[in-house]
Amino acid sequence: MDDQALRELMREYQSGRFEAFDAIYAAVAPSLRRYLLSQARDAAKADDLVQETFLQIHRARHTFDPSYPLMPWAMAIARHVWLMDRRTLSRRPWAPEDVNALELPVRAEAASLADRVEVRRALGQVAPSRRDAVIQHHLLGFSFKEIADRAGIAETAAKLRSSRGIAQLRALMKVPKVRKAEK
Amino acid sequence: MTDDALRLSQELRDRLAADFQPVRPLRSPWMRTLVVVPVAVIALFAASITFNVRSDAERLGWIGVWGLSVLQFAIGLGVVAAALRESVPGRGWSRAAIAAWLAIPLGAMIAITLFSWETSQVMVRRQWWLVAGLCFSGSAATALPVVALSAILAARAYPTRPAIAGALFGAGSGLIADAGWRVFCHFGEPAHVLSAHLAAVVMSAAIGSLLSMRLARA
Repeated sequence: MDDQALRELMREYQSGRFEAFDAIYAAVAPSLRRYLLSQARDAAKADDLVQETFLQIHRARHTFDPSYPLMPWAMAIARHVWLMDRRTLSRRPWAPEDVNALELPVRAEAASLADRVEVRRALGQVAPSRRDAVIQHHLLGFSFKEIADRAGIAETAAKLRSSRGIAQLRALMKVPKVRKAEK
Repeated sequence: MTDDALRLSQELRDRLAADFQPVRPLRSPWMRTLVVVPVAVIALFAASITFNVRSDAERLGWIGVWGLSVLQFAIGLGVVAAALRESVPGRGWSRAAIAAWLAIPLGAMIAITLFSWETSQVMVRRQWWLVAGLCFSGSAATALPVVALSAILAARAYPTRPAIAGALFGAGSGLIADAGWRVFCHFGEPAHVLSAHLAAVVMSAAIGSLLSMRLARA
């Protein structure tokens, strides 16, 4: 898609046509992901950062001037998201790096030792940013707002990281997704 | 892109759609700088209205007093406009340009001070620290409303380098405030102006930088 078409889409997005977001996402996300992957060198992390970048693009959509190209604007936001994430990580050793040091709550009726080992093993394989969100929310009891504040990300991004972490954990432990009707 | 990421983009889309509203695109940095002008004009006249016009005004003439102050004021507004452009993603200045924008207030102050000193040599003879303290605090305090308004305007954009944007609009605001303060302060001695008055501009830049970082985190 050429730059003129992207600018037009962005103009429509600003004026309230949300469907333009899909087209912008499809056109811009691969480049942003390539850039973020080159910085983060971790596919899961890059995916998270792409999501966060689009959240910030949404927040900052009023700052786009359609008389200028879209990509430098989007890239500047992606770079900002990456730098903020890196700065936050360097200041925040508050989620345990070693999952073996975690005291994991396991149901009484379960074969506790085996279950703990299994949960730790799976947790160790979850992408670090997602694992942090899962541990902080589900084990340490922090709210998503607190997690977002500490990580310097949007609350929505904290929720996304946690839900993706849980989904990954489920897949690793081969736990079927619980349907609402079965609850 | 991975399937996982594509699936979650749908989740993201739903979340964004939930609080979606049309927005009015931000005006150009120059247009947004015009919002600062009324407060900046008050800062320009504040000291001379509250106290008086400098005692050597006759010797300096209209150009030496008001002409140079208006020039300094215009340069200050230019630096604020540069800061508001810096606040827009993708419109940031290069390192060389940032250095130039920060050097402009310094150069302008030195040039205006030396020009005034050529025409009228009024030295601080007694209690230089008291005079310096008054000029520093007065000039810095006058700059605060301009710094605050510029900070709000910059934060409404999306500064990806808030410290730099803040330092720029702080320096610009300091220059604007000092343009007014020099109309009142008749001590044209370079040692006084380039310490007390310049320190007020540096202080404004530091306050602007801190305020901008604070607002960017909020």
